[in-house]
Amino acid sequence: MKNSIKVERAKKNITQAELARLAKVSRQTINAMELGKYVPSTVLALRLASIFETEVNEIFTLEDTDWE
Amino acid sequence: MMKLNYLFPHRFKRIGTWILIPFILLGWYVVNYDIEPEIFDFNVPAIFVDEIMGEKFVFGMTENNILNEIVGVVLILSFLMVAFSKEKQEDELIAKIRLDSLVWATYVNYAVLLFSMIFIYGMSFFWVMIFNMFTILLFFIVRFNWQVKKLNKTMTHEE
Repeated sequence: MKNSIKVERAKKNITQAELARLAKVSRQTINAMELGKYVPSTVLALRLASIFETEVNEIFTLEDTDWE
Repeated sequence: MMKLNYLFPHRFKRIGTWILIPFILLGWYVVNYDIEPEIFDFNVPAIFVDEIMGEKFVFGMTENNILNEIVGVVLILSFLMVAFSKEKQEDELIAKIRLDSLVWATYVNYAVLLFSMIFIYGMSFFWVMIFNMFTILLFFIVRFNWQVKKLNKTMTHEE
């Protein structure tokens, strides 16, 4: 699964640490998601969408490998 | 969204560690040298007593040196505290690492036990069983903390 967290973060001009605080997770979790190493829960995905004032679909996109 | 996670408060991890380390050393000393000081001799209630060449009964009182029981109880409780205290920031990624590590530790623990069952006999196997009471938690603690450390290391320093 691809995500544009880093891009959204740049648009909002906030650091990983600030996003972590807003989303109530650790900075490590934000970092792992940005690196594509961790797929968040639905709740966390919705929180991120809410913070970025957008839709979950705008941040997260399925890849072919997600169907395997 | 509040979820029940069966974990102790974060500070228990440190408290548990401070208790665990001296009791591992004490436990090793007590079983290795068969230490049974008289002040620990007590008449204790028992559900089953089945001694080799000794008394056998169900429900009653029996004389026992309780030092190894005390050490065992403290060891298990402090192992549990170290293993299952919340991290400073207990989030869903930590929960995933925790679960993965628990599965891993269970496999490793039973791999060791299977190996020992097949290749170790007599009193040595009895010692394996004694250690096996604690090793699942030990393997979990080592693997979990190593994974968390690895996660912290991969942090890219940004901004």
